[in-house]
Amino acid sequence: MFRKVLIANRGEIAVRIMRTCREMGIQTVAVYSEADKAAPHVLEAHEAIFLGPSEPSRSYLNIDKLIAAAKQSGAEAVHPGYGFLAENPAFAEACEATGIPFIGPTAKVIRDLGNKTLARRIMKSAGVPVIPGMVEATTDPDALQKEAERIGYPVLVKAVAGGGGKGMRIISSPDEMKEACLSASSEAQKAFGEGSLYLEKCLGAPRHVEFQILADHQGHVVHLFERECSIQRRHQKIIEETPSPVLTPSLREAMGKAAVSAAKASGYVNAGTVEFLLDPSGSFYFLEVNTRLQVEHPITEMTTGFDLVKQQMEIAAGNPLKLEQEQIIPKGHAMECRIYAEDPEARFLPSPGRVLVHQEPSGPGVRNDCGIYAGFEVPVEYDPILSKLIVAAGTREEARRRMIRALEDYVILGIRTTIPFLIDIFKSPAFEEGKTHTDFIERHFQDWHPNMDSADLARIAYIVDELAVSRGPTKQVTARGWPTPWETLGHWRL
Amino acid sequence: MKYRLKIGESTAEVAVNTSDEKDNALFAIGDKAYPIRFTPASENCYHLTLDGKTTRVYVARGEEGKFIFVKGCAYLVQDADERAIQKTRRSGMDETPGEVTPPMPAVVVRILIREGDPVKRGQGLVVVTAMKMETTLVAPWNGTVKAINTAEGAKVAPGDILVEIEKEGKDHE
Repeated sequence: MFRKVLIANRGEIAVRIMRTCREMGIQTVAVYSEADKAAPHVLEAHEAIFLGPSEPSRSYLNIDKLIAAAKQSGAEAVHPGYGFLAENPAFAEACEATGIPFIGPTAKVIRDLGNKTLARRIMKSAGVPVIPGMVEATTDPDALQKEAERIGYPVLVKAVAGGGGKGMRIISSPDEMKEACLSASSEAQKAFGEGSLYLEKCLGAPRHVEFQILADHQGHVVHLFERECSIQRRHQKIIEETPSPVLTPSLREAMGKAAVSAAKASGYVNAGTVEFLLDPSGSFYFLEVNTRLQVEHPITEMTTGFDLVKQQMEIAAGNPLKLEQEQIIPKGHAMECRIYAEDPEARFLPSPGRVLVHQEPSGPGVRNDCGIYAGFEVPVEYDPILSKLIVAAGTREEARRRMIRALEDYVILGIRTTIPFLIDIFKSPAFEEGKTHTDFIERHFQDWHPNMDSADLARIAYIVDELAVSRGPTKQVTARGWPTPWETLGHWRL
Repeated sequence: MKYRLKIGESTAEVAVNTSDEKDNALFAIGDKAYPIRFTPASENCYHLTLDGKTTRVYVARGEEGKFIFVKGCAYLVQDADERAIQKTRRSGMDETPGEVTPPMPAVVVRILIREGDPVKRGQGLVVVTAMKMETTLVAPWNGTVKAINTAEGAKVAPGDILVEIEKEGKDHE
């Protein structure tokens, strides 16, 4: 096993990876930028190497600096986490070239699966169902128009190098086609340096169901069951759960087999996720493979009992997987939600700044993968994720109630967070009934307002704090203001 | 004494009557009266007792107001009168669309205009980014760019006037 691993990432995921390393007796190397000098991942690591200015391109996205840091520290492997360079084949290649294993699939696999139409061709030839649509990308609007007629509207135009909803448009009629393709192509060109597009049939109100896979260097592949991630905002998942509330045992088996076939067809090694869309009729279609550890991997850990980061380390070290498909038996139900530094009352505007109070929830079945602490300045330069709150319980309903309880116990003051919004989603009848589709937020939470039940007490607390401060630790200061009728009131009544 | 306290869009008047007993006060909001005993538990934490039931609340003093956590809800509570005074000195964020200021702390990515440029209402002036989300700040009215008070890469905050636009055909007040 490696003696020392560099974690080429920041925030909660870097901390989470370091925890497993420590448990495995592996030394950890953090990297950090100007803004992250006092970040939790820097404090957690055995050693930390400064990369440069806060701008991602000059620190966390800078391959040369990361390779230099790996060499300098004597790290024997590099874990990319998720985001930043995790799915960048050039980074995996640079690690391979330096002789420092990249903890993930090979550069070739990342490149093949990152090309969305090539991925569709690989899956199609392996018998994995793909969404009806094109398998070759183009920039020719006339060709796209012709294909759209063949597929039938509505169609989804997507960037061949796409991800995160960039360069993606829904087109419901022929006259929208040209304009949508132009803007999608230029957006994709800007984001990925590649403006080619392809079309897929637009499925109405699908669910997003993905399968966790593990594949070793010896060609053994298993899946660790599904995660349902239908609740999304701006094409980003915000709530995930496992098992999916709708999979039947036979559908689960079919999808699990398809996921394993997808991994084998692409020559996959290490941990990955095969994403599917599930339509209301129960048909499922390959969406894409995420060639890295997912943000939502902890719910799989909670129900299967396996530490996925540990599995990644073992695989990267060349060790064979020690589990057979039949030995993987998930138990109970787990849910995760992502807590962002965003103001849900103000169109989810980012809310960077200093965390003043931070008290994490605890209790049975609660896990918080967190990248902040009281006093930490949440930087404006990076992703707004603060923490992932994960719960596990015997049943879906128990997990739902546990999540509400844990969210209500979670105190983060100083910046705005999405906690109140998340509480209301978990409390909603639609969520309780498992009616989770990718349009859930638009359908049920378009016009959300925060719960004001405790507003009176909050106002009272404001004044209590004024009084306590003005009295100070020593002597009471004369109250300011003027007499009110309350002063002459005989006794109090509610 | 009275406070006018704002949470989101709602402002309420709170009357408070402190008693001789140090840790007691009577609060009145609308037609509701709250006799409260309060005990500081730590720097950011108080115990409020109402009708024999004690609730733990957390209070943190931020620049925009106080962040307060009560029974699973976090609120930003602001003194409406203080805010009104501040607003005349320093422009607020969303209430005064006449100023070119970012809605949140951000970094300037691009400046799309130069001093002396004529601009049309709604025209993009400055692109800022925060936490991977880009926002374009636009001209509030037709006019001329009088001053640019920022640069690419600069860290900016709500209230900072990034671009001054002289209104077309009008002396600025």
